[in-house]
Amino acid sequence: MQSYFLQRLLLIIPTFIGITLLVFTLTRLVPGGPIERMLAEAQFSGAATSSSSNGFGAQSLSEDQLDQLKAYYGFDKPVIQSYFEWLLKILTLDLGESTRYGEPVWESIKDRLPISVFYGVTTMILTYLLCIPLGIVKAIKHGAPFDHISSAFIFISYAVPGYVIGIACIAYFAANLEWFPLGGFVSDEFEYLSTWEQIKDILNHAALPLIAYMSGSLAVMTFMMKNALMENLAADYVRTATAKGFSFKQAVSRHALRNSLIPLATHFGQNIGVILGGSFLIEKIFNIDGIGLLGYEALVERDYPVVMGILVISAVLYLIGNILSDLCVAWADPRIRFGERK
Amino acid sequence: MMFSPQAKRRWQRFKSLKRGYYSFYAICILIFVSLFAEIWVNNRPVIIHYNDTLYFPSYGDIIPGDTFGLGYQWETNYRDLKQVFDNNPDSGNWMLEALVPYNPFENHFIEGEFPPYAPSIEHRHYLGTDMAGRDILSRLVYGFRIAILFSLFLLTISYVIGITIGALMGFLGGGFDLIFQRIIEILSNVPILYIIMIVASIITPNFWTLALMLGAFSWMGLTWYMRTETYRENTREYVLAARSIGASNWRIMFKHILPNSVSILVTFFPFSVVSGITALTSLDYLGFGLPAPTPSWGELLQQGTSNLDYQWIAASAVIALTIVLTLVTFIGEAIREAFDPKKYSYFS
Repeated sequence: MQSYFLQRLLLIIPTFIGITLLVFTLTRLVPGGPIERMLAEAQFSGAATSSSSNGFGAQSLSEDQLDQLKAYYGFDKPVIQSYFEWLLKILTLDLGESTRYGEPVWESIKDRLPISVFYGVTTMILTYLLCIPLGIVKAIKHGAPFDHISSAFIFISYAVPGYVIGIACIAYFAANLEWFPLGGFVSDEFEYLSTWEQIKDILNHAALPLIAYMSGSLAVMTFMMKNALMENLAADYVRTATAKGFSFKQAVSRHALRNSLIPLATHFGQNIGVILGGSFLIEKIFNIDGIGLLGYEALVERDYPVVMGILVISAVLYLIGNILSDLCVAWADPRIRFGERK
Repeated sequence: MMFSPQAKRRWQRFKSLKRGYYSFYAICILIFVSLFAEIWVNNRPVIIHYNDTLYFPSYGDIIPGDTFGLGYQWETNYRDLKQVFDNNPDSGNWMLEALVPYNPFENHFIEGEFPPYAPSIEHRHYLGTDMAGRDILSRLVYGFRIAILFSLFLLTISYVIGITIGALMGFLGGGFDLIFQRIIEILSNVPILYIIMIVASIITPNFWTLALMLGAFSWMGLTWYMRTETYRENTREYVLAARSIGASNWRIMFKHILPNSVSILVTFFPFSVVSGITALTSLDYLGFGLPAPTPSWGELLQQGTSNLDYQWIAASAVIALTIVLTLVTFIGEAIREAFDPKKYSYFS
């Protein structure tokens, strides 16, 4: 068992290198990198001061300056060499500097971290709070009208991507009814509000995005809960429990329920990545300055160090989340032994 | 082609699940209607009766205005022609217009008003127009056709890759399995949007290239399933029997194992369609999808969110998406239940 998890941990390394190497190489192949952008800017603003003689605006920087720039961004070396230099820097926890803002990548990420964590954790807690009771009721009332009607709604929330639900919410509840603000994390006058009003302000801003965030995982987890509980209700040990004289309620709450929570526990590890990554589409729609939006903007602006920095963090979290999932399973159900041949 | 008794039983069970079965019909009708969208939704009329000759302009080359005595070489303006016909009711000329008399690329301007136009029966913009004065219903219909065909094509690509690699992983095992496990882990972590942006900066993506690109990054989900299934089937007696009479690996894999494990893939089918439509819509929404002015639901969503004052734009796109995706999900749910009719013995 221990050796299994050790092996899993070690396998993170080649996968991590694979992911980062692939994306790193791609950043080199794309036209429109930081140097091209700078050239375009120089052409735009410094046409008058241009020292070039060949008449092409794009050549407003001299060869020397270009080489300097290339050296500055590390574009003068072969891909593999600069990849390993980058990797060494990562190992010292240095994510480099944003080519757009010039500030360290880690600073930009750190600024947005609280917002992403707030949404991620709140979404997760609310989803669990909603899914577990709903799943239980649906399992017990399987086939009843309540089950059918709630299923239909859950399927809609599953089928329609979260950001589309976000658009619907913002168009109706924010733009039309004006119950909620159109976006952002807090109001402009946030600092001047009392603590109580501050909380209200955050919640007011968070209500619609949270609906959008929750819609995806809601269906999966409710059905996971429902199916697991139904399977357990049919199990022999529940019959034994009633034979001993337990009531239906006791049999469910003391026996079946506990075992049914295992699949939900396995889901827990996968949530870690979502906590940070969020969905940039939802963040974009609600104008939330989270990590997802940072990554998207960096992609659009070709801000490679930020792209790579976020990729590193999300890849590590994803890989660790997978292992955590397995650990959760092993912890919740001692019968499960990973890595042992049957 | 004969269906096995099991397939028949599943079909019967599927039919008995009303929600999924009716959704299946509804989607089939929607697809059928959208495939012949040129007839229902077009600025060209379905039938024109002019000087005792019938014309069917829906498909085919443009008919120049000269044909109808309008005195120009370019395509007939059928709305003007309709006016001419209406002004001379005695001429015996008539036309049968399409239900929605706008094509998805046409910028329609009403005199004295600026687009977008709100939904109106009078102007026959049943869902209104977008910011450029293009009819929304028309764009929805053509956009649906593109989205569903796109998602079916994407699904074919990712299934072919996914099934082949998954089966090989399960069948060969060992190093091949281990290496591809890593490759899958790597690929599923690469931000697909990034790849598409890169390619988009080199070539303008079209229907096929976009589907190929997405397909190259969406086959992984299926692979895990195929891998386990092949692993399991590989240890069964019939495989041993086939091997003992000298069947080649190739034959065992494609003639014996694959048919036994592939039937259940049907249950993934509707969900893949949903994710295909969703992927195309989000790419279009972000502006990295099919090039403008392709009719697209994502592009409508985008217009809707940036112009929240004109609610019919966002509302049409959101409602259309919700209806179609929910219908397909209902089908998927019913298929899944038909394949796996777990009868929970109730404790009572």
